[in-house]
Amino acid sequence: MKTNRMATWKRRLVGRKGNDGLIFKIVLYVLLTGISFIFLYPLLSMLSMSIMSLEDLIDATIAWIPRNLTLSNYATAFNYMHFQEALKASLQVSVYPTIATVVSSALIGYGFAHFKFIGRKLLMGLMVATFLIPTVLTYIPTTVLYRDLSVFGIPLGLSESIRAFTIPAMLGNGIRQTIFILIFYQFFRIIPSDLYEAAAVDGSGVVRTFVTIAVPMAAPAFLICGLYSFVWYWNETTLARAYFGNTYTTLPMALEAYINTYRSLYAQGQVSLDTVSSTYNLGVQYAMTLITIAPLLGVYLFLQKWFVEGVDRSGIAGN
Amino acid sequence: MKRLFAKLYAATLARPVAKLKAILKAGWRSFVVGIVEPLRAWRIRTIRPVASKIAGAIGLKAVGRFLRKIPQKWKNMFYGYLFVLPWLFGLGLIGVPLLAKSIRMALSDKYYFITGVGWKITGDWSDFTQFKRIFGDEPWHLEQIVATLKDISLVVPLVVIFALILGLMLNQKLKGRAIFRTIFFIPVILLSGNMLSNFSNSGLLTVPAIANGTISRLLSDYFPAFFATIVVTAFEKIVLILWLSGVQILIFLAGLQKMDQSIYEAAEIDGASMWETFWKITLPALIPLMYINIIYTTVIYANLSNNAIVSIINVNSSEQGSLSGTLTDEVNYGRAYSAALSWVLFAIELAVIGAYSGIIKLASRRYD
Repeated sequence: MKTNRMATWKRRLVGRKGNDGLIFKIVLYVLLTGISFIFLYPLLSMLSMSIMSLEDLIDATIAWIPRNLTLSNYATAFNYMHFQEALKASLQVSVYPTIATVVSSALIGYGFAHFKFIGRKLLMGLMVATFLIPTVLTYIPTTVLYRDLSVFGIPLGLSESIRAFTIPAMLGNGIRQTIFILIFYQFFRIIPSDLYEAAAVDGSGVVRTFVTIAVPMAAPAFLICGLYSFVWYWNETTLARAYFGNTYTTLPMALEAYINTYRSLYAQGQVSLDTVSSTYNLGVQYAMTLITIAPLLGVYLFLQKWFVEGVDRSGIAGN
Repeated sequence: MKRLFAKLYAATLARPVAKLKAILKAGWRSFVVGIVEPLRAWRIRTIRPVASKIAGAIGLKAVGRFLRKIPQKWKNMFYGYLFVLPWLFGLGLIGVPLLAKSIRMALSDKYYFITGVGWKITGDWSDFTQFKRIFGDEPWHLEQIVATLKDISLVVPLVVIFALILGLMLNQKLKGRAIFRTIFFIPVILLSGNMLSNFSNSGLLTVPAIANGTISRLLSDYFPAFFATIVVTAFEKIVLILWLSGVQILIFLAGLQKMDQSIYEAAEIDGASMWETFWKITLPALIPLMYINIIYTTVIYANLSNNAIVSIINVNSSEQGSLSGTLTDEVNYGRAYSAALSWVLFAIELAVIGAYSGIIKLASRRYD
C-alpha cells in the first residue's frame, strides 16, 4: 500500500515522460518568470518614469509608483515627434525593404538549397564572408555605394531615399540579410526530399514546386524573417540618417534627435535636475522610447499567434 | 488573469488576426489557383503548339530536340543560378566592391576625406604597414586582441546553448505561453539599431541588484571575497547572454514549430523518455539552425561596442565612430589602422565560427 502511494507521488512530481511532472513545471515557471523580469525591467521602469510628474521625477524617495499619475509626458512626446508623420515615415521606410528582403531571401535561399550548381559552396562562403566584415569598416563605402545605386536604380515608384534601403534588400544585401538567406536555406533543405520527388513525378515544374510545396513548408521562416527585418529596418537610425537626411524622420530618428538635444542641453548646464525643463526630462524621453517600440510589440503580439498555433500543414499529405 | 487576457484578445486582436490569416491563406491559394495554374495550362495548351509550329516553320525543331536532350543535372544548374541571380547581382554591385575597398583601406598608410574631392587612400598595399604596426609595435593592442578572442569564444557557445534551452522551454505546453513569448521578443527590439545606447547610460539593461552591488555585498558577507566576485561576474555575464539570445531563441522556436508532432507521438508509444526524444529527435533537427545561430551570435557579439577591438577602432576614428572624418581627425592611429584592426576582428570571427561549426559537425556525425 505504501509503495503504491509512493509511486503515485513520484508520478505526480516527476511525471510520466519527464516533462509533465510538478517539479519540472515549477522549475520551468520559476526560470521563465525570472528571465522575463530581466527583460521586462527596462520597460517597466521606463513606463513608471514616463507617467511621473516633474516633482515625482526629482523626488528621490519615489522609486516606482508615482504620487500623482500624469499623461502629460506622452502629450509632450507625441507633439515633439510629430507622431503621425513620423509613424507614416517609419512604416514606409520599413515595409518596402521588409517585403523586398523576404521575397529575395526566399528565392536565393531556395536556389542554394534545392539546386546543385558549380561554385555553390564557394558562393555561400563568399556570402558569409561579406556578413563577417565588421560594420564599422564598411560604413562609409556602403553609404557611398548605396547612394549611387539608388540614383541609378530602377524607380519602382519609390522615392530615392527608400530605394537606398530597398534595392540592396532586393539584391540580397539588406540589413543582416545573410542570416535570412541562411534561415531560408536551412528550412528549404529540411523539407523531405520525397515531397519534391512526388511533385516531379506529377510533372510539376520548377516554379510550381517552389510555389506549392516549398513556400508553404517554410512558413515559419517567412514569419521569422519578416518580423526581424521589419524590426531592424524600423530601428535603423545610423544608415537612415546617412540616406534620408531630412526627407524622412522616422520614430526612432525623432527619438534620437530628442536625446541628442537633451544631452547637449544637459552638457551646457541648461537642463539639469535642478532647473527642470518640462520638455527635456527623462519622463518624456522614456515616453518617446515606449511610443517608438510600441508598434513593434503590437506587430509581434499580432503575429505570435502563429507560433502558438503551430504552422498550418494542410494540403501536405504523408510524412 | 488568463481569462482576462483571452477576453481582451477576443475583443481586440482575434478578429483582425483571423481575418489577416484568412486573407493571406486565401491570397496565396488564389495566387496558385488563379495565376500559377492557369499560366501553366495556358503555356501547355496555347503557347506550346504555336511555338512548336513556329519552330517547325523556321527549322528550329532541332533546337527543341537539343533542349530536351539536356540532362536534368544541367537544367538544375541553370535554375540554381536563376534563383540566386539577384544575389549574384548584389555580389557584383555591392559585395565585391565593398570587400575590395575594405581590403585596400586596411592595406594603406592613410585613409582620409578631402572636401570636394572625396575619400583618399595613400600608401602601397604591399607594405602591410598597418598589420606590421598591430603585430609589431602595439603589444597592448595585441593583448586586447587575445582578450577579445577569448571573450567571443566563451560567450558564443553559451548564448547558443541558452537560446536552445529557452527555445525548448517556450515550446512546452504552458499557461501564459503567449505572454512569455511576447516578453522574450523584447531583447530583439531593444538590441537593434541604436536602441541600446538609449538605455545603457541609465543602466536599465542590468538587474538593479547587481548594478548597485547588493548581491555582491550580500555574498561577500557570508562567503570569501573571491567566491563572491566569481558569482557576480558569472551572473552579470548571464544577464548579458540572456539579452543577446533573443533572436536565436525565436530561430530555434521556428525550427521547433516545423517539427512533425507525429514523430513525437510515435516515440512516446515506443516508450521513449523526454531525454531520449530530445537527443534523438529534437536535437538532430535543430543542428542546421545551430550553425546559423553560431554565425549570427559571433557577428553580433563581435560588433558590439563593449568589445575591446571595436572600442579601439571607435576611439581611433572620429567622434562619429565608424572610420569617418577628415585628415585632421586622424587621432592616434588613424582609420587605416582601424581598418586593419577590423580585419583582425574578421579573422577572429572566422576562427570562432569555424571552430564551433567543426565541433558541431563532428558531434552530429553519428546522426547520419
